[in-house]
Amino acid sequence: MANIRELDKRRKSVKNIRKITRTIELIATARFKKAMDRAAAANDYTERITQIVRDLAGAGLEVSHPLLAERAEVKTATLLMLTSNRGLCGGYNGSVIRAAMITRGEIEGSGADLQFEISGKRGVNAMKFRQVRIDNSYTNFEDEPKFVDVARIADRLMDDFTSGRMDRLDVVYTKFVSISKQVAISETLLPFAQPKLEPAAPGTASAAGAGSNANYEFLPSAESILEEVVPASFRAKLFKCFLDAAVSEQISRMVAMKSATENAGDIIKQLSMTFNRARQAKITQEIMEIIGGVEALEG
Amino acid sequence: MSTATTPFVGRITQVIGSTFDAEFPDGQLPPIYNAVKVTSNEKGIKVNLTGEIQQHLGGGRVRCVALGSTEGLRRGLDCVDTGKPITVPVGKATLGRVFNVLGEPVDQRGPVEADDYWPIHRHAPQIDELSTNTELFETGIKVVDLLTPFVRGGKAGLFGGAGLGKTVILTELIARIASSHGGYSVFAGVGERTREGTDLWLEMQETEIGTTGRMVIEQTCMLFGQMNEPPGSRLRVALAALTMAEFFRDTTGADTLLFVDNIFRFSQAGSEVSALLGRMPSAVGYQPTLATEMGALQERITSTKKGAITSVQAVYVPADDPTDPAPATAFGQLDAFIYLERSISEKGIYPAIDPLASNSRILDPQYVGMRHYTIARRVQTILQRYRELQDIIAILGVDELSEEDKMVVHRARRIERFLSQPFLVAEKFIGRPGEITTMADTIRSFEEICAGKWDHLPEQAFMYVGSIEQAEAQAKQMAAK
Repeated sequence: MANIRELDKRRKSVKNIRKITRTIELIATARFKKAMDRAAAANDYTERITQIVRDLAGAGLEVSHPLLAERAEVKTATLLMLTSNRGLCGGYNGSVIRAAMITRGEIEGSGADLQFEISGKRGVNAMKFRQVRIDNSYTNFEDEPKFVDVARIADRLMDDFTSGRMDRLDVVYTKFVSISKQVAISETLLPFAQPKLEPAAPGTASAAGAGSNANYEFLPSAESILEEVVPASFRAKLFKCFLDAAVSEQISRMVAMKSATENAGDIIKQLSMTFNRARQAKITQEIMEIIGGVEALEG
Repeated sequence: MSTATTPFVGRITQVIGSTFDAEFPDGQLPPIYNAVKVTSNEKGIKVNLTGEIQQHLGGGRVRCVALGSTEGLRRGLDCVDTGKPITVPVGKATLGRVFNVLGEPVDQRGPVEADDYWPIHRHAPQIDELSTNTELFETGIKVVDLLTPFVRGGKAGLFGGAGLGKTVILTELIARIASSHGGYSVFAGVGERTREGTDLWLEMQETEIGTTGRMVIEQTCMLFGQMNEPPGSRLRVALAALTMAEFFRDTTGADTLLFVDNIFRFSQAGSEVSALLGRMPSAVGYQPTLATEMGALQERITSTKKGAITSVQAVYVPADDPTDPAPATAFGQLDAFIYLERSISEKGIYPAIDPLASNSRILDPQYVGMRHYTIARRVQTILQRYRELQDIIAILGVDELSEEDKMVVHRARRIERFLSQPFLVAEKFIGRPGEITTMADTIRSFEEICAGKWDHLPEQAFMYVGSIEQAEAQAKQMAAK
């Protein structure tokens, strides 16, 4: 039989681990709710501002903005990867890193010069281990990313793009689809996606004036408005990426810790069983030895 | 030892299971370990029993262990002292034959014309007679050569619970060593299945020694005291086999191989008769003389300046508990220690040798060289780390490991699988030929895996191959499918 004391020690340590994972699970649940609210709020804003850009485009204007310009040749590309600062969140970082490595391979394969930016300690460490060059890293984003911080990054990226130092921006992050589904995806944010003209759905407001600018009057001019709206929309979109990543992180952590707690429970059950069996076996054996000894002495 | 012309004759006074007491007249007490014979043929009940004197009870009475079945034995039968301990035939006449514990041939090929008979109780060689050189013994089995290298003229033990493949590994070693070995082999079947003994006997008749055209059996003698025999027989058959091996060692000077399957049965048989002999049971119900008996046997299996006995012994581990007194006493006697682990056999990895629990005295830079030693330890370190991480993986999942640990797990899983190897004797069952991997290939393969050269191959490619190149070929084959 296995060493009884050893079994007990292992059971104790697994019990401690379970305590920790359960606590983390509870914390993650609380944080998830907060992050979720923030993401939902930002979602409305982002959708609205995208709507405006779309409407502007729908207004039949010749939409032209430096951020919208597709470059003929991509010489330098930037890849921004959003990971978490903390671990214990299951496959969250792993799948983002995997997706980033694929995108990175594609970009490098096309011969472009790559600038690699990473948010989150986990991503930084993973890339350091893989001996990948990191050009820029941020570790100041926790579970509640601040808009000011994101906007600062967004402004710098936009500046790089308009000045021609960068021809393309990809962001790899975990997109929050629903509570039960989050996917690590790679999205091209710059050049800012040409607002697509959605096929006119009858009955909707925007469908009314396809090809005309009947709904809008521009003051002072369409261009100056675009000048404001497009960067704002980009900032909002980047911010949304950070928020999505934060929500997904909490969900992943919640799920991972839940299953960890369950696994720990299973192991404890198993260890207890082995422990009890070993203990009983030992007791039985000792009793038998004593009885055997007594009988041998009597005989 | 008595050389009386008229043998001492006593009478049986008591029969308890497989032991019996006999009373001899005053002044005719035969010494301990002498063999006594009981023969009778009354009312159609034939008794032809040999016993061995274990104790003097006083008053002319002796207590004997029966080396055969005690059926038909009754009080009052004549018990004749043979004047000497049990003797077995030794020498070249024994080669190719099969014996029982009394040295009688049981293969129905007529009597054995041996020039000499030796008593089975002998002294272990003196300390100044022992051979001192240590030499590596290559088996062609990767995990054995790398982690538990055998010693020429040394003792290796195969420890394992029920059904983990001790006998298979032992048979494999016979197939590998005996078929390329110039000297003599002695096989002792102690308390195992009779069928296995028969299989082995038939197989030896078909296996050729190298390309000499001679069969393995011609250089081998076999002794059996299997499960069906009474404890006395199982208790002494190992000694009988050892005596035959000692003769080859001492007189011919040839390298001799001694295979014992299974040494635990020897202890077990001792425990069965111990209580009947009136000894108080000791830990876990074993005989109090457990260590003495084991020591007396094991100390004789040794290499002297005259010749070498290389022995491989299977040791059953009851309830998979290596701390059980019987395997624990055998453990201390061995040069190479191979432990078979159930969790490995459950993964389908054979031989199910535990790379961390197994060890060898000569896994030391002094004997195997620095390179071999470093690589073996490195393999063990990786596997050790993997084992430590197992709890974390079970609770948190592999994703939570640090990048370094992930790499360790990645390699450990490959190493674990690479430790498997197709066996010569398993060819019929698994449908792929056995692999003999040279020491150089083994070391190089593991070195490259540890260095991360083969990280890209899928885990499954490492199963049941010889050198690492075969794993690569297997990976290609798998990819093609």
